Amino acid sequence: MTAMTPNEFKILFTGPMGAGKTTAISAISDRGAVSTDVMNNDPQQCDKATTTAALDYGQISLPDQGSVHLYGTPGQDRFRFMWPILMNNAAGVIVLLNGEHPELDHHLDHFLEAFGRGETIPMVIGVGRLSEENLEPLERLGQRLEEKGLPIPLFDVDVRQQDDVLLLVDTLLCLVEVNDTGRLEA
Amino acid sequence: MTAATPLGKVATSLAQKELDRFGESAPGVTSAVLLSSDGFEVAALKINQESASRLAAMGSSLAAVGSAIAQEAGINECRRLIVESDTGVVAVMTVPNVNPPLSLAVVADDVSVLGKLIWATKNCCLALEKRLSK
Repeated sequence: MTAMTPNEFKILFTGPMGAGKTTAISAISDRGAVSTDVMNNDPQQCDKATTTAALDYGQISLPDQGSVHLYGTPGQDRFRFMWPILMNNAAGVIVLLNGEHPELDHHLDHFLEAFGRGETIPMVIGVGRLSEENLEPLERLGQRLEEKGLPIPLFDVDVRQQDDVLLLVDTLLCLVEVNDTGRLEA
Repeated sequence: MTAATPLGKVATSLAQKELDRFGESAPGVTSAVLLSSDGFEVAALKINQESASRLAAMGSSLAAVGSAIAQEAGINECRRLIVESDTGVVAVMTVPNVNPPLSLAVVADDVSVLGKLIWATKNCCLALEKRLSK
């Protein structure tokens, strides 16, 4: 079982700086999420006021008295030492990407490799900031995953919308369940 | 202002001088890094570039976790964190009233002088405040 206990799940949100990890966790956490946001001194990498320096944390209660613990990683490579610490005992990973970013394809490859390509633990990918008129980046990423032979679910999301983020979490938990059933049957 | 020099050249030079002074007087210090709250090195003492960058990133993560815990516990701002082992100490202390926010991470190899080390680090942070606050 990859869950902490049968009804306790730890899932990880990761992705590059500015993809919306902190926003996503805040959007679905039952109580105020814990954030470690600090002033951003690197507007060239991403033009926003704050950035996560250590982790985000939130929690969702499940109807059967269980809960989902939501952890967010910092996105920058200089904080990479935090990734395995946060990955420890995670049941699955949600990779968030910024669909507008010129290095979108590189970001996909980078986070796929860093978090096990969905082969060690289940993975779901959410791509944000896409306009309805231009879903080409999503199609391109889907094709890229297909070429790599990675059957990882890929969604167009607005991380500010609770329903969009919950769709990612629900999908991931389904994969976790299928994964565990497979292991039990094997 | 860029990430490579979060303070600007003049202020960075002033900070480096203050850090050098600290290195001459503080007991047991093996290395130190002045860092921005988002993990960039501003000035460094007795440490190579690669290690300074790593210590800056780790120091900022520690400081951020300290602030989050202090807030959760309702005890206001976290001023310092001490990581203590049998053979050494890492102290991360906030430099008060500076913008952008800065912390000083100090590594020392003599646990027996922890009190003196904290005192010296605090004085260095206050000196940095005087030099860098506008």
